[in-house]
Order: sequence, then C-alpha cells, then structure tokens
Amino acid sequence: MKAGKFSLLYPTGSFVVLLFVLGAMWYAASSQNSPAVYLLLFGLTTVFLVSIPHTLLNLADVTIAPESAKAAFAGEEISLPVEIMNCSRATHRGIDLLLPASGGERKRIDYIPAGKTARVTLRFPAKQRGEHRIGTFRLTSIYPLGFIRVLKKFASSQTYLVYPKPAGDPRLPAHRTRSPHSRPQTELGEGDDFAGVRAYVPGESQRHIDWRAVARGQPLMTKQFAAEAEGSVHLDFSALRFHDVEERVSQLALWVIEAERARRPYSLRLPNTDIAPGVGEAHFHRCLRELSLFSHGEGAAAKAEA
Amino acid sequence: MSKRKNSKQAWKDTAIPRRPLLWLAAALLFTLPPMFDNLASWVPLLFLFALMLKFWMEPRGYRLRSNILKLILAAVTVGAIFLSYETLKGIEPSVSLLAVLVSLKILEAHSAREFRVVVMMAWVLCLCGFLLSQDLAIALCLFVAFALLIAALIQFHSGSSPGAFWLPLATTFKLLAQAAPLVVLLFLLFPRISTGFWPRIGDRRTAKTGFSDRLSPGSIAALANSTDVAFRAEFPDRRAGPLGPMYWRGLVMWQSDGMEWRAPYAPTSISDSSRRYPASDKAIRQRITIAPHGERWMFALDRPFGIPSGAKLARGDYLYSIQPIRKPRRYEVLSSIEPIEKGLDAYEHREALQLPASISPAVRDFAASLVAHDPEPRAIVNSALQFFRTQGFSYSLSPGEYKKNDLEEFLFRRRTGFCEHYAASFATLMRLAGIPARVVVGYLGGEYNDLGGFFLVHQADTHAWCEVWFPGNGWTRVDPTSVVAPGRASQDLSSFLAGRVASGEMATGQSAFITQLARLAVLNQVRSIWEALNYQWDTRVMGFDADVQDVLLTSLGLTNSEPVRLVMQVLIVIAAVLIIYAGWMQLRTRPRADQIQTLYKRFCQKLARVGVQRVPWEGPSDFATRAAQALPNESRRVRQITETYIALRYAPEPAAANLREFAKAVNAFGARSGD
Repeated sequence: MKAGKFSLLYPTGSFVVLLFVLGAMWYAASSQNSPAVYLLLFGLTTVFLVSIPHTLLNLADVTIAPESAKAAFAGEEISLPVEIMNCSRATHRGIDLLLPASGGERKRIDYIPAGKTARVTLRFPAKQRGEHRIGTFRLTSIYPLGFIRVLKKFASSQTYLVYPKPAGDPRLPAHRTRSPHSRPQTELGEGDDFAGVRAYVPGESQRHIDWRAVARGQPLMTKQFAAEAEGSVHLDFSALRFHDVEERVSQLALWVIEAERARRPYSLRLPNTDIAPGVGEAHFHRCLRELSLFSHGEGAAAKAEA
Repeated sequence: MSKRKNSKQAWKDTAIPRRPLLWLAAALLFTLPPMFDNLASWVPLLFLFALMLKFWMEPRGYRLRSNILKLILAAVTVGAIFLSYETLKGIEPSVSLLAVLVSLKILEAHSAREFRVVVMMAWVLCLCGFLLSQDLAIALCLFVAFALLIAALIQFHSGSSPGAFWLPLATTFKLLAQAAPLVVLLFLLFPRISTGFWPRIGDRRTAKTGFSDRLSPGSIAALANSTDVAFRAEFPDRRAGPLGPMYWRGLVMWQSDGMEWRAPYAPTSISDSSRRYPASDKAIRQRITIAPHGERWMFALDRPFGIPSGAKLARGDYLYSIQPIRKPRRYEVLSSIEPIEKGLDAYEHREALQLPASISPAVRDFAASLVAHDPEPRAIVNSALQFFRTQGFSYSLSPGEYKKNDLEEFLFRRRTGFCEHYAASFATLMRLAGIPARVVVGYLGGEYNDLGGFFLVHQADTHAWCEVWFPGNGWTRVDPTSVVAPGRASQDLSSFLAGRVASGEMATGQSAFITQLARLAVLNQVRSIWEALNYQWDTRVMGFDADVQDVLLTSLGLTNSEPVRLVMQVLIVIAAVLIIYAGWMQLRTRPRADQIQTLYKRFCQKLARVGVQRVPWEGPSDFATRAAQALPNESRRVRQITETYIALRYAPEPAAANLREFAKAVNAFGARSGD
C-alpha cells in the first residue's frame, strides 16, 4: 500500500516531562559545578537523541495491506483484518495501528520479525448504512524509549459496506401471490414443530439459536420449526406506508432476514432497482447491498423519469 | 482524543506488566546505596517497602486510589521528614522528600504514562545520589541504575515480544554504545555555565570525616578506623616517594589549653617572597588530589613552599585554600625536605609560649626540673623524650577519656594515649620549659598503589606532632609518638596496627579471620586496582570542572568566550553523528535487493533497447513469446533465459549454480545483441 512520502516524528507527552528532568539536571550540575551530574545529564540527553533514529527506523520498510472488510449491520461492529509486513532485515517492535476515520481503537503489535507479517483485526462500530471509505491508516511507534513518536500514514481507497439496521415488524407482509398450481408444501419457519437446524444467518434474531449446540462447541445453528407452506414474498419499498425512508429500509432489511431464515423466496423492489425472487446467501447479500446503498433522492428521480 | 477516552474507560484494568516492573525495581534498588549512607535510615527502608508492596499489589489489582489517602500519606511522610531532620531545607531533607514521593508514586502508578513518569523520577533520584556522594562505587551503582531504567523503558515498549532478558539489555547496550562518543564530546566541550542560585551543599556532610581545627584528646583516635581516603599524592619527578617518613603538613596549632590545642580561626597568610628557595635536590614536587572535605585545609609534604593557585600559605607554613574544598581538587606543590630557616619575631615568640592558666603545679614542677637538669633547649627536648620512652608510656587507640586539663593525669598516672595526647602534652611541656613550641596536624605515611603509581593517604593516617624552635635551626619537627611507638612513623597506621596485632601487642575488636582476610594478597591486589580506578575517576572525571575545561578549550584553540557559538558547533556535530547513525542503521536493515529480479530487469531493459518493451501486466512467458516473435534470431536465447528465470524465481529450491549461469546468460545476451 502506498505510504505517505515521509515518516513524521513528533514528541510525546512524556517528552515534556523529560525536558523538565533534563532542565533540573542541568540546573543542579551547573549550580553545584558537579562533573558527575553533568555526566548524567549528557548521558540522558544523548541516549534520548540516539533513540530518535531507532524510533524512526522502527517503521522503515514496514507496509500494510488491509484485507476486505465483511459487511455488517448498522449498530454492529466491522472487523477489518490488516496485514502488517516487515520487509526490512531488522525485527520491529511496539507498533500501533490506528484507523482514525473509522474511530477504531489502536491495535498494538508487539513484535514482527524481519521479513515476516503480522495480522491484526481492527474493530470499529458500523454506524450508518451505506458504503464507507476506510480512510487513512496511521502506523505509529514510540519504541524504544517512548519520548518520540514516529508516524507513517497509509491512504486507502478501500471501502466497506454497512447494511441497514433491521427493525420493524418481524411478520412478513401478508400480500403474497400463490401460484394456483403449486402443491402444498412444508416450509420451515416460525411454526410450532421442530424440523431440524441450519446455519445461522448474521442479523437474524437470536431467539432460535441452538445454544446447547454452541455449548458443545459447534457453530451457531438456528432451530427451524415447520410451518404452514407459504409462497414467495414481495418486498416493495413503495408499498410501505411509513414516511421515513430509513424506517422503510430498516423494515425491508428485517423482512429480507426473516424471509431468508424462513427459506421463502423473496423479491425486492426499490424505486430504481428490481430484484427477482430468490433465496440463498448470494441473493440475501445482494438485497441487503441494494438496501444499504439505496438513497431516496435517486429513487425519486428514477421514478420521475419512468 | 480517543486514546484518552479509552484510558479513562479502562483505568481500572490497566496494570503495569510484570517484566518492566521488575526492571524498574532492579534500577530503583541501585539508587538506594547513596540513600542508605546519607539519609535518615527509614527513608530507604520505606522505599524498599513500597517496592515490595507494589509487587504484592500489582497481580491482585490493588493500588493507591483514594486521593484522601494519598494526601494523608504525603502529609505523614513530610511530617516524619521534618521530625528526623528538624528542617525541610537542605539537600538531605529534599532528597528524602523526593524518595518518599517516588515510593508513593510507585504505589499509585498503573498506566503507561505513569510508568514513564516513575522512570524519570528515578533518573532524578540518580541525580540526587550524585549530589549526596561522588564516590566511584556510588557512581557505578547509579550508572547501573541509569542503564536499567533505559532497559525498563525498552521492555515496557516492546510489550510481550520474546527475549525478556537479553533484548532490553542488548538494546540498552546498543543505545549506550552509540551515545558514548556523544557523551564524551558533550562532557569535554559543552560550556559549563555556572549558576550560583542554589545553595552549595556539602558542609554538614563532609565535615564528618577528617580532622578539625581543634585537637582534643581522642579526636584523632576516632579516625583510626576510618577507611575514607583523605587525598592521593603522586610524585611526578620520581617513581617512589621520598626516603624516610612522609609527614603531610595540614595545619599548625598555636593555642594551647594543656591537652587541647586550637588553630587560629582565620589563618594569617604570609607572602613567600622573603623565603629562600631550597636547592633542587632538596625539593619534592607532588601532585595531590584531595577528597572534598568542605573545609579549607590543603596538604603537602613537610614543608610546602610553593603555593598552588587558589591557595595561600599561612603563618606556620601550611597551605590553605581560598575557597572551601567541596569537590575533588588537584594541585601541584613543591616541598622542601630541609627546615626552612626564618626568624621568629617577638609576636610569634610570645604566641609560641602562650599557656593556659590551669596547668597544675605538679606539671609546672616537672617542667622546671627538666630546665634545671640542663637549660640547653636540645637537652630539654631530649630529656622530655627520654621521659616518654622510659616511664612506661604506651600507645593505644583507646586510652580512655581525658579532659583538656588532664595533663597531670596523663603524664603521671595513666600514661597511655594516642598521637594527639603525646603531641599536645609534649608541646605544652616545652612551652612550660620556655621553648617555643607548636602542634602540627596532618597525615603520616601513605599506602603505595603500584598500578596507579600514587600514594593513598587515608583519614586513618591522621597524625599530630610537634615543632619546637631552636635558635640556630628554626622550627624543628619533634614527634613524641615515634618515641613511644617507634614503628608508627615508618608505615601507615593500618599496617602498623596490623603488625602490632599480629605480634600480640594490641588487642583488636576485629576477629582474626577478617584480619587474615585483609592480608590476603589477592584481596590486596583487587583493592589496589580499585584504588587506581578510583584515582582515575577522581582526577579524570570528577576533576574535570569548568576551570580544567577552560584550559582544554584554550589548548584546542576554542576559546570559551562565545559559549553560544560553541553550543551551536557541538549541536551540529551531534546532528551529523545522528544522521550517520540513522544512515548506517538504514543500510543494515534495508531489504536486500533481489538479485534474480535485478538481472531479469536488466534483461528486459536490453530487450527494450532493441525495441521489445515489456508492459507492466505482461507475464514473463507471454513476454518471451512476444519477444521471440519480434526477434527471431534471438528466440532460443530469450526462451532459455526466461525459463531459467522462472525456474529460479518459482521453483521450490533453486540451485546457486543456476543463478550464476543466469547472470552470465543475461550479460552475454546484452553483449551479443548490442553489436
């Protein structure tokens, strides 16, 4: 990844205290005319000065490569794995990685041997639906003494997606079309009879997670119950009666999750997009992606054109 | 911003990891020795206790949190300091206060910032240690502490990376090694500007050892067990010292109180112009490094006649410094072995015969009997010495207590004493007999250090003797102690005492084992090396003050008149050195260029020169196919080179021989197609 042209060096808060200590030493040395105190003063000063190139070179030939961030629902947490590569022939220690634009906390990498890679996962809250830029990574280090901080910036054009926060009425809309020649079939969903388990879909309610299986160390599974057969669901933005766009988007997101969980084919209709009925992981993410990128202004314009 | 928020949220959970804490504790232990020597003993004990308590508290998550408790503890300790010193001013109470505050801070510290603050406070403790003591052993302790603090910081910032012990030490050594030349540069050249606002320290502490301007019974015997060094002396013109006993003249006491003598409070200086310069073979040049004692005494072989700078010659032919001696000081002085003849004026004559009124009749009668026996002054001196020799006088470190009027008790009843008893009583006796006499206090003897080629004179070598005035000869040294203890004058006190203990003449409080141990040759050698190091430290480092620096700067042609310019020059040199360091470290750690890649790049450049340009996204074999089509003559060679390149770059274990062939092929390719 492209780094800023220069590493920046600036003093830390402890540097001010160090200056005070050095001042006290100088004052004591000069007023007592004591060579031993001068020796101590010069020792501390030069050790500090010599530590500056050490700090500066602690980030030399270090570069980072963010992996793609998995999308998350608003209000949840985005986790972004980042690889930090040490291309130099020296071990680097005490490196901090920070992504200020996303408001994440700093991640500490204690140690990267020469030529090796460290992997950390930055976590930060997913605040608003939509596509967001990751922004600029800041790699800093105060190793070895902590009086000087070196900063290297890595600008990234990479983005991450935040799905709308699912909210509203969990019951799927009543408006449905049932093809006349379809035979009655058993659908899995919110019924009463237990009909097995399937993989948990992120975002869906945790009420039906098979916690006993989790306790046994198995992955998250959702218990499914047999319900009366139902046909596919049409999720239509314009059919919703709420006024607020965000409320409507949230409701649609919740329905997408519920329909996916119930394994019922669902179609999504937004003012400028139309997704044909379907079910499954790819369809699920496609619908949520459209929902998170949807902006009403655009939709209105598209409608006006039509 | 976010950092602060996070640390505030997590303040209950942050703890200083164990490893840096161990380094810090080790460093703090090394700051203790000067405290134990100089402060009220509860201060370092409290410090130790706080340190141990921290190790107990930290894993349990306890720490000093309540502000009220902190304030109470601080108030209590400040009160305790006031109680033990009866003041808060001065260096010892201030250092005690700092040590106590550091103890409290240790108990309180839990965040990264506080850890660094404690480390910096510990550096200030090192500074305080140097203010308390400038001994080499203490200095070594403090420098170890200084280095361990750096190691603690390194360990703290490297987190949990492997290499708990060697990594911080190795990095510390690297930093110190890189810093060393800069320290020497700064130490030699950085202008020493004197700021005299702070009260100079040292009176109370250094006056504990050494003699005083008052010679009272028992005052020198009290120093007999002191191992402190009074001064060191070199004889630049000759390897060994002078023949015969070395009497180091300290100060001359004129005023007699019987058993107690006093020096004038303010010495009267005399000019040396009237004195005759001795013959060169009778003069001894000495270079003396004196340990700080906070007073103005200076020492030289009996008798000094050259006057070092910053010193004066007092009436009685002894040196004294114009300024109190508060740091090691080195001076050169010339002494004459022969007595310097000089007249005795009426005032001095009167003063040299002054006597207290309280002398008992028995003593007066005895002095009168000496005169009656033979009125010639030399005969009187001899018969008095004869009296000491024959009348059962003994030489003892613990003669019991005498008061200043106990002359009679000493001369006629107890007859046991140390050098000050003999010198004082003899001089008083001479005055009673009408002979001008005075007491001289100084040192006798010295231990020769082979390694350093100098004599070491300890406080234990303190000695007192007499001088009497003979009309033809002037002031003549008479040492009554040598009559009582004949061996004393030829060796320093410790070897003299050791010999006496060995021959059973004297009881000692030390066990036989320790005495034996002290006489082991190996230990003596170690001791002698240590003394030589000490000497170097005192003369080379501690002696390098503003004056010496001035001489150095002048000799280098850098006059100290423009300190700002000098500072600028020093800073430029330092910046240059830092840049060199950075460049050197960068060179050593920069990723090594990939040789195969470089060769392949060269190959591509050569192809580009003949018109086949590789596009960035083109793979090597695609490019080779295209190049072979464009250059049918070279197609075999291009394919071969590309195949070798792919094999070298992507095969699991490419052979080194292939690399050489590849290089050869690439180079040959250029030569051929260039034609």
